[in-house]
This record gives sequence, C-alpha cells and structure tokens, in this order.
Amino acid sequence: MGQRRRVANPPSQGVAGARTDCVRVSDRKHNICMVSDFFYPNMGGVESHIYQLSQCLIQKGHKVVIATHAYDRRKGVRYLTNGLKVYYLPLQVMYNQSTATTCFHSLPLLRCVFVRERITVVHAHSSFSAMAHDALFHAKTMGLNTVFTDHSLFGFADVSSVLTNKLLTVSLCDTNHIVCVSYTSKENTVLRATLNPEIVSVIPNAVDPTDFTPDPSQRQEDRITIVVISRLVYRKGIDLLGGIIPELCLKHPDLHFLIGGEGPKRIVLEEVREKYQLHDRVQLLGALEHKDVRGVLVQGHIFLNTSLTEAFCMAIVEGASCGLQVVSTRVGGIPEVLPEDLITLCEPTVRSLCAGLETVIAQQRSGSLPSPASIHARVKNLYTWKNVAERTEKVYDRVAGEEVLPLDRRLWRLRAHCGPVSGSIFAFVAVLDFLFLLLLQWLVPDRLMDDAVDATGPHRLWRQETIVKQTKSRSHSKGATSS
Amino acid sequence: MVLKIFFPQCCNRADSGLLVGRWISGHESAVVLAVIHYPFIPGQVKQYVQQMQTRSGVELSVLGSWSLPKEGQEGMESFLRDLSTIFPQKRWLQISRQMGKTGFICNVLNRDHDGESAQKVKRKKKHEDVKGDEGEEDKEEEEEEEKVIFIHYEQRKVMMSQLHPIENGLQDPKTDSPSELRQMFQTVAQSQPLFFMDKYDDGPLKSTHWQSEGREASIIVELLKQASVPLCLLVTWLLSLWTWICNIRIFSLYPFCFLSSKLSTCVQLSYRTEHMRTLSSPRPAAGHTQFMRKANIFVSFLVDVALGMLLISWLYRDNHISMLANTLVPAADHVAKQLEELLQWLMGAPAGLKMNRALDQVLGRFFLYHIHLWISYIHLMSPFIEGIFWYGGLSACLGLTFALSLLSDMVALLTFHIYCFYVYGARLYCLKIYGLSSLWRLFRGKKWNVLRQRVDSCSYDLDQLFIGTLLFTILLFLLPTTALYYLVFTLLRLVVVLFQGVLHLSVDFINSFPLFAVGLRVCRFYRLAEGVKFRVLCDEPGTALHLLMEINPLKVSTVVQTYRTPTYSCYPKDSWAALVKKLFVGELIYPWRHKTTKTD
Amino acid sequence: MMEDEAFTDINGKTISLDCQSHSSFCREFTVSSPKTSMAKVMVYTCCVWLLSYTVFFFTQNTAVLSAAIVITLVSMMLHIHFVKVDHESLLVIGSLGIQLSSNYASGRETTTFIEMNKIKDIVINEAIYMHQIIYFLCVLLKDPSEPDAVSSVVPLFQSSKPRLNCLVKIYKSCQEILSKC
Repeated sequence: MGQRRRVANPPSQGVAGARTDCVRVSDRKHNICMVSDFFYPNMGGVESHIYQLSQCLIQKGHKVVIATHAYDRRKGVRYLTNGLKVYYLPLQVMYNQSTATTCFHSLPLLRCVFVRERITVVHAHSSFSAMAHDALFHAKTMGLNTVFTDHSLFGFADVSSVLTNKLLTVSLCDTNHIVCVSYTSKENTVLRATLNPEIVSVIPNAVDPTDFTPDPSQRQEDRITIVVISRLVYRKGIDLLGGIIPELCLKHPDLHFLIGGEGPKRIVLEEVREKYQLHDRVQLLGALEHKDVRGVLVQGHIFLNTSLTEAFCMAIVEGASCGLQVVSTRVGGIPEVLPEDLITLCEPTVRSLCAGLETVIAQQRSGSLPSPASIHARVKNLYTWKNVAERTEKVYDRVAGEEVLPLDRRLWRLRAHCGPVSGSIFAFVAVLDFLFLLLLQWLVPDRLMDDAVDATGPHRLWRQETIVKQTKSRSHSKGATSS
Repeated sequence: MVLKIFFPQCCNRADSGLLVGRWISGHESAVVLAVIHYPFIPGQVKQYVQQMQTRSGVELSVLGSWSLPKEGQEGMESFLRDLSTIFPQKRWLQISRQMGKTGFICNVLNRDHDGESAQKVKRKKKHEDVKGDEGEEDKEEEEEEEKVIFIHYEQRKVMMSQLHPIENGLQDPKTDSPSELRQMFQTVAQSQPLFFMDKYDDGPLKSTHWQSEGREASIIVELLKQASVPLCLLVTWLLSLWTWICNIRIFSLYPFCFLSSKLSTCVQLSYRTEHMRTLSSPRPAAGHTQFMRKANIFVSFLVDVALGMLLISWLYRDNHISMLANTLVPAADHVAKQLEELLQWLMGAPAGLKMNRALDQVLGRFFLYHIHLWISYIHLMSPFIEGIFWYGGLSACLGLTFALSLLSDMVALLTFHIYCFYVYGARLYCLKIYGLSSLWRLFRGKKWNVLRQRVDSCSYDLDQLFIGTLLFTILLFLLPTTALYYLVFTLLRLVVVLFQGVLHLSVDFINSFPLFAVGLRVCRFYRLAEGVKFRVLCDEPGTALHLLMEINPLKVSTVVQTYRTPTYSCYPKDSWAALVKKLFVGELIYPWRHKTTKTD
Repeated sequence: MMEDEAFTDINGKTISLDCQSHSSFCREFTVSSPKTSMAKVMVYTCCVWLLSYTVFFFTQNTAVLSAAIVITLVSMMLHIHFVKVDHESLLVIGSLGIQLSSNYASGRETTTFIEMNKIKDIVINEAIYMHQIIYFLCVLLKDPSEPDAVSSVVPLFQSSKPRLNCLVKIYKSCQEILSKC
C-alpha cells in the first residue's frame, strides 16, 4: 500500500499521556470522525467514498474513525483494514437506511464518540443522511470544526425539496467547510443552502484504477454486450432502461444486456424480459459485491448509465477504467466527469438513449472505437484516491485554523441566515441542544470517559506490541440500547 | 504443564497405602478413587484392580503411594519409592502429609515407558541424593519442573450428580474428547463397583473410599421393584385393550375422527395413554434423560389424580352439582337474551353510526333467527344438564386435567352460537377485504400473478375497469356495516377463546411441569449439576495449591426448561402481530392448533 | 500476596481491586463496589413515606400506610437479593479454568466456571452500554466445531464496570497466567 509516513513521536505512549501532546500535534495531524448513515455493509457510492478516503487519510498518518448506525446485528465497534474503527451506533432507522432525526437522541452516543476519540474535525457525508446533519449540529454545539460533503443533487420545485433545502440551509449555515463532488453539485449546493461559494470546494470522487483493469479476452466477440450496474431504483432511471431493452433487442439480434444490482424496480426489468421473451439475452445478476463488479464489467463492450440525477457518477468512471465505451444521460455532474471522446451523452429519454446506443453499436461494429487498453490508460490518472485525500487534507488544515462560532454568535447567525421563522426555531433547538449537552456533561463528565486506544493516527498501536489486545473486527455489543 | 490431582475428601485421613485411580489422557490430570492400605500382596492388588477394571469399564490403575506418617512408622520413604518398580507406570505419584501441616507434598517420578533400568536407577538416585542433602531445595526443584494442584472433591456427590447439558452416550468420534471435568465425573460415576467393598469386609485388601451409610431402605426399594413388574403388565394389558377399542373402524370414520381431534378431552385422553405407555414399558429406563422423563410423568400423574380426587370430594358433597346445573341454564339464557339485545341495537343506529339499512336488517334478522334456534336448543337440553354434570364430574377421578378439558369442551358447546356468528361475520368480511384488495390492484393496472407469487402489471379493457369500479364502490360502501358486525362478534369470540385458552394453559401446565426434577433440585441439589465451583483452601507457602471442588447446582429455571415434558402446547405459536393481522384480514382463529405441529 | 488498590468505575464511584496471588498460576481478582450509603436509603424511604402519607391524608385509609411499609421492606429485600452486587471476583487457575462469581449484598452467590479447553482468550473489548461506549473485560469462548472461531463472549465484572486502567491491570496478570499454560 505504498509509503507509510511515520510520525516523529514514538508511538508507544500510554493512553493518558497521549491526550496532552495530541493537542500539540493537531496542527499537522487531525483526529477525524466521518459520520454518515451510509456505510458498509450497505453498498453504494457514498459508502465506498468514505471507506477509500479514510484509508488514504490513515496512510497519511491521520486518525480516522467512522460513526454510522447499526445494521441489523452489526452494532457496536468494529475494526476494518488498517485499524479503521467503525462505530455502529444503535439508532433507530426510519426510511431508506436513514435514521430518524429528533436533533437530540443521538447526542449522548455521538458525544461519547467525539470525546473518547479526542476528535478535532467532524466530517459528515451525504445530505440524505439524518445522522450526518445531527452530527454536524452536535459537533458545533461541542465546539468542534465541521466539514460536510454533499454527494447528491436536488431539485428546487417540489414540496419535499423545499423542505429539505431549508433544512440544509440551517445545517450548513455555520459549518466550516463544504465539499462537493463536481462543479454542478457545487452550484446546486450553493444555491440550495444559500452559501458563500468561498467555503465550498470541489473534490471529485475517485476509483481505484488497479481494481478496474480491462481484460478484452473476457468479451464474447460474437455478440455485443451492454453492461448496466446500478441500484435498481427510480433515481437510476430503470424505467428508461425498461424502455430501451425491447427496442434495441428487436433491432440487433446479437445484443445482450448484463444488469447488476438489486432494488424495488427489478420487477420492471423482469416483466420486460418475460413480455418480450428475452431470457437468454437479458441477464439479471442481482446484488453484486464490490469485488465482483470488475468481473462483470470486463465482459461487456458498452457501459450504459441511465441515471435521472447524479452529482458525480463513479460507475461510469469504473466502466471506462475497464475499457468500456460509456453511454450516459446528460444530467447533473456527469458531463464534467469524463473527456468527451470517451463518453456518449444523451438526453434522459428512451429515444435519445436509443439513438446514442445505436451510434456506439455502429462504431463498435466498424471497429472505430479506441481499444480498451488506451481508454484505461487515459482514465487511470484522472481520479485517484491519493489525490482526493491530499485535497481533503488541505480542507482539514484550513478548517483546523478556523474558529468555531460560540453559542451567541451561532444563534445570531442562524437568525440572520435562515430567515426569521425557521432561524428562530433552530436557534431555540440549538439552545436546547446546548442545555442537553450541559446536562450530559454533568451526568457523565468528560473525565470519566476512558480515552480510546488509538488504532490509527500519530499514536497508533495497531500492529504493534499492544497494551490492550483488540479483537479484530469482532466486537460484541452487549445490552446496547439506543437512549 | 500443571499436574492436577483430583483427591477425594474421605481419603484425607486415610492410613498410608497405594492410590488407585485413573489418569485422564491428554489433560495431565489424575483422579484418585481409593486408597488401598498396608499390608497387601502386590499380586493381589494387581488382580483386584484388573477385576474392577473389567467390572466398571474404567481404565483403573495404581497411581502411586500415599503416606500419612504416624508415630512409630518411620523409614517408609524408601519402601514407598521401591513400590514404583512393582507397578510399572509412566508416572509415579508420591503424595505424603506431614505432621502438623494441612498441605500435602507431592513428588512425581517420571520415567520412559520402555526406559532402561539403569537410567531409572540413576534418576531415582539423584532424587534420593538431593532429598538426603537438603529437603527444602528438592521441593523447589520439584516445583519448578512440575506444578501440582490438588483438587479435593466429595466422592458421594460427584458420583451421584449428573453434569448438564446432558450428553447422550452416542458421541461422534469426529468431535474432540469430552472435557476434563466431564471425564472426571464419568470416571467417578462409573467406578461404582469399586465402592461396594465395605470396610467391614474380611478380604485380603483394606481400602478407604466413600462408603454408603447403610442399605436398610434398599429392601423396600427391592420389594417395590418386584411388585412393579406385575403392575406394569396389568397396565400394559389394559392399555392394549384400550387401543383395540380406539382402533375399531367406526372411530376412524370422518365425524369421529374430526371430533376427537377437536375435543380437548379426547386430546387429553390420547395424551395420557401415551404417558401410560411410556411408564408401563417393562424395560428399565436407559439413560438419565429417559429416567427423569418417566419419573416426571409418574409424579405429575399422581399429583393430577390427587387434585382430581380433591375436586370430586368437593363436587359430590353438599349437592354442589345440582347447584351448578341450576345456575348454568339461566346463565346461558341470559347470554342469549343479551345477544338478542345487542343485535337489536346493531340493527338500529349503533353508537350513532349510519349503516346501510337493507344489509343491516338482513344480517340482523339472520342472526336473530339463529339465537332463537339456540334458545330452543338450550331449553331442550335443560333437563339433562344435571345428569351430564354428574357423570362428567366422575371423570375427575382420572385427574384434574380431565375435568378441566371436559369443562373446556362444555364451554365450547354452550357457546356454539357465538362461534357460528363469528364464522359468518368473518367469512363475509374476509370476502369483502379480498375483493377490495384485488379491485384496488385493478385500479393501479396491476394484477396478482398466481404462478409467480407476485404482482404484475396488466392492461385492462374499459368495460373491465367499469365493472371493477362499480363493484369496488358497492363493496366499499357496504364494508362498514359488515365490519361492525364482524367487530362485535369477534370480540365475543375472543372472550370465549380467552377463557378456553386459560383452561388449556392450566391443563398444559399440569401435564408438562417437571415436578420430580424440581423436587430433586430442592432436596438433593447436587444430583443435577450445572458445573462446578472451586474454592481455594489453605495456601501455605511451600506446599502445592489446594482447591475444593463443589457442585454448582442447576438453576431452577433451567431445570424446568430441560425436563419439561413435551406436550401439544395449545398456545398460538404465532406472535401477537400475526394474530392481529389475522383478525384484520378476517381469517378464522381457533383456540386449538392444527395437530401437525408438536412442540418438543 | 495481596494488593488492594482503589479505582473508579465508569460512573466515577470508587471501587477497590484486590489481587490475591495464591500461587504462580492461580490468582484471584476481587472488585468490590461501594456499600449503599445510608443517606440514599433514608432518602428513598422518606420519599415513599411522604407519598404514602399524602395519600393517607386524602383518603383516610390506614391500609395505605401498612402497604407502604410492606412495599419498602419487600423492595429493599429484593434489591439486596437480586440487584445490589457487593463484590465480583475472577479466579484464574492456570490449565484448569476461569471462575467468575458475584456476591450479592444479601450473601447470595452466583458462580460460573469455564474450563480451560473452552477458553480462547481473555480480551478487553469495547461496547455500547446504554448511552455510553465503555471498555469491558471478556472471556472469548471457542467454537467446538472450528477452533479458530469465537462462539460466544462472556463479559466479566458486569455490575461493577471498572474503568480501563483497572481492566488493563487485571488483563495483564491474567495474560501472564494464560501464556504460561
């Protein structure tokens, strides 16, 4: 995994000693807590983004922990590769793997995580995640620096968007720094949350190019295979896919579809398959594990993405990295992801997508497409996690120097920035949150919380003579109840 | 490695002699079972050990020597050491007590099994030398090379106790050997023949081990054993007669078959027959589990019959039966009257609700007619009720459970009208719910695909949609009326089911409660062991560590769980949520369960 | 060899750890919780009494008062018999096993003995407990079918819940014994 930067301090320090000089080192190395509702075992772009970014930051010598909610029986504390510590907190899941937000109930556990891990920067991910917003809110109350990464785009028109945008405004108005994954996304976020564009950075997602290498020998030359890999949900335009399949299959008898992913819209594809009797040509693979994705991708010639909204599409980068010709809808940040000759952009309609696919199929037949290896070579250096981590590190360095608004100025800012009604309401909530924090600090003072043993960061004990033997990735949580 | 020696407490003050016991292979531990005293002839000891080994099936051997110095018995040391050459063993233990000290001292002589004698002598000599020079150092050296723990146990309790969870004799050879403690318990339990030698026996050998206090009670036990054989035969014969009657063809015809599976008295009867069959089998119980099962069934049967007798003595005194009968008929009448009033109320505008008048009237009249039929039925029955009670009460001499099951059946028969109303209401409601749900699917352009068990999309014609809409509207507007009737009768039905449920629960409790096991747990707690616990005895510096092993009795809740007699438990296994869902959809609920599910 | 040291539990109350070394491979660790303070008992009793007296004042029913006495006594007895743990101890005997016992304030004792061949290791683990994340000591049990897997976890010192520094001390001396055998 490349060069491991060692830190000047000797790592074998006692737990108690670690705290004092941790503060001193913090201008270089940060203690980062990533908070999001979405993390493994859930699969998706946000999840792998958090994981990969954390791994790179750990390699750079920062201490990273992740807080998410409990998935079924997976609750408590777990360790992943390289000592990445994950807290699966027992919070009630409400809808779509997002926790219920009451602004308060997550405070005790999150505070416990922040205090015992001596967190300096809280980094929340995804605007769909209620837990991320909660964490931002609590972190500001506790006087920690905050960073937020937005992974998705939103509309402005319908009622739900209006409400969510208001919430986002409140949540982000006193956040130190915001990261977006593409310029479209930045524009969208700035407008939605009425932010100062100065504090919004663009750091794109990345793929691990070594994981996605082309292998043309896997392709079957007597046919043309179109690969689709996405969750089968409305947002990913599966209804469009259901329209495209019969039309193209009718025209091209050697066309095959390979569809990976699972979701509520699977039924649409199944019906199409049955109605037009395409069982041998449309293959539904079901949920794919991340390690299997490459094996599916290399079997295809063309990668199709039908998303209706997308901030930064990692799937098309993965497809291109495997040497596939990419056809995608022209929505959100997709046009800025790949150079124009590697991608064919279409409008999000069945007709436009079909036309786009037709031209690519024709090119494929004539052999005028670039070779997979050349596509891979171009994409390889476009997006790497190392680059992402370096840029994120700069954001952290900048944030660490900034001050966190004290309560009075925070209230003033909420009132000034979010309108008189909602501003007042949330100012009141912020005061309540502060009082609740005081109550908790009285009930369980900070000094009674044991400092966690660092598995990563400057004082890491991972893979060394351990004072406390940690059971790797098998932690048992007993009597865990959400308070 | 630490050497563990399990030492019986009764041998603490035994005279010097040889230790007989067993090495537990693979665990570095020895179980001492008895001490054979001086004087003895080695040949006889060997023969005795051999004999015991064949009788008990335990690999017994002479473990070493035991010496308790007394006045005038000096100079035994060298003799004891020489003994090791007579009984060839891989290891030879020399356990000794010193005057005025509580701790034991243990020397271990190791030797190769096929080692040459010269080597042996040399090694022994070395021991001797060191010992002769400085005794203290020798001990330390010993301790360094081999540490010893003495674990004292009470032989009687360990012999009688049964370690839980019970492992049946059959063990797959794949899994590793049973744990150390289990092996130790097995060893002590199996070497029972060793303990039969009495201290008053005039044999050539004298030994110390646990001795039973006396055998007076055993005469009575023997007599009972003798008597039980003809009793069992008699019961078996009666049972075969009973099964013959049950197997007559007429009972396997449809109505009988159906009735007997639904009447709780019949179920209880078959259940008891099963029990008696288990009890009366002439073969002795094989294994602990089966023995406990038999004993539990026997005790609970006795208790059941005793309770039944109590009930009888109460019923047939002071004419309680006729009193009951005289109150029952008016009560049934009263219920019918109340129902009638309820129906009248429903036919109007119940709780201010405006119902569909026509449907309401039809349903109301229909139910009223039923009640009318019912009242005439009750009046027809009323002269016989006392007789039924009188003869039914006699069934209590078979046990309280029978009386309770009979009561449950009678309640079921007396509330048959409520059941009927419920079924009509539920069927009607169910039909409407199903109709509505499929028509709702029609609106959304979907249909239920039976072959694939999923909802498919489907395009309907205009006239299909039109008819569907009409039907949907009609059903929707008639739903409240039906739902109200359904609700009221379901509530009534639930009351009856609840009462029957309580009865079944108590019958089930009497049938399955492991009274014998609980009694054993209370009176002889060591018989059912969950495990062991250790206490550190004296730890004088210099001597080996001494632990006292006590038996950790099984928790009462675990006893009940382990030894509960399996029954047809009558309780809805499905959860409350499932029950509520059933009620909502309008599926029928029953107090009994379908017979295929038997809980173990 | 005896040592007695004062530590705190996760709620900041003082607990004392008593390490007794019976031999080089047999050690006993006893964690004693503080006794219930008299003031606390008095406060609770007074609360119940005041409440019952208020009810009595309005209802003029003496049964309320006697019920209050009975309730106080019974709940106290239940508390000391089932809830209040006086001390918990861990007896580690090399090559034989580990015995955990907890003594309730009434003198009731519950003991469990785990044989050495079932034990995989003793570790310090983290868990979410109520609204806190705490460290606790636990025994990992082997899965009999596959020796590398852990079948279950037995937490130690469940009622006293000592803090990390105390756990580390116990952990180190347990490992000393376990590594020897």
